[in-house]
Amino acid sequence: MSLPKPVMRGLLAKRLKFHLPIAFALSLGAAIAFKYMVTEPRKKAYADFYKQYDAVKEFNAMREAGIFESVRPSGE
Amino acid sequence: MAHPSQLGFQDAASPLMEELLHFHDHALMIVILISTMVLYIILAMVTAKLTDKLVLDSQEIEIIWTVLPAIILILIALPSLRISYLMDEINDPHLTIKAMGHQWYWSYEYTDYEDLGFDSYMTPTQDLTPGQFRLLEADHRMVTPVESPIRVLISAEDVLHSWAIPALGVKVDAVPGRLNQTTFIISRPGVFFGQCSEICGANHSFMPIVVEAVPLQHFENWSSLMIEEA
Repeated sequence: MSLPKPVMRGLLAKRLKFHLPIAFALSLGAAIAFKYMVTEPRKKAYADFYKQYDAVKEFNAMREAGIFESVRPSGE
Repeated sequence: MAHPSQLGFQDAASPLMEELLHFHDHALMIVILISTMVLYIILAMVTAKLTDKLVLDSQEIEIIWTVLPAIILILIALPSLRISYLMDEINDPHLTIKAMGHQWYWSYEYTDYEDLGFDSYMTPTQDLTPGQFRLLEADHRMVTPVESPIRVLISAEDVLHSWAIPALGVKVDAVPGRLNQTTFIISRPGVFFGQCSEICGANHSFMPIVVEAVPLQHFENWSSLMIEEA
């Protein structure tokens, strides 16, 4: 009665073959997650901000708040 | 200005700074990609009880880990060069301002039409009014028209300084005996702060830069008033 011979070679290679695709997939996943959770929302935020931006209205609001030194609020 | 404990960039107030923000996101995405892979591989190696004593070389993996980094570097270099050339485009400025660095204040000269010049000293902390920012406010602000290309010529009268405004994506060294040029467009009205960015002595941290962007009509009124007062 003899036991089957255990696998004695290629163990590290087998481990690498298992882990390397996971490493690639995880890193790609992290990059894609960053792209769609940070990069694209930031681009969209800037685009949306300037789409609706009324510079004159914002300027007047800032002026009335008194933050400018070259232009005082209209009451002064 | 930055808010307390802020880690990222300030909100962009010029088209160039927006491009820099997006490029930074792109480069950071690549950094995250590489770091995740390396971290996972380190963990996999550290937890392995196996070693291959007979690994000598492998043409396949050598090719992979030469070609892939080259591709990644090209993916970083192309947008980087694009922005670099974008910054150098000739864009016909409407206004030229000279910013001169001194120990320890900035002086601004608007000499396109009339001779207007003034110094800009930091507002001391004890003189701040409620709502003002410590170490960032100055007694005279550099006022500019909004949405106009502006050229700033930067130099220094004594030692090295650097004229920097993070929200506009501007940082230019002020070198005595040399005239450096930068151009920018401020996309929206507001007040933008910066600080001297080259060590220049005891009060290097106390010579801020304040740029006030207002509509053209108000800019013209301000410059007329400043010339009359001078």
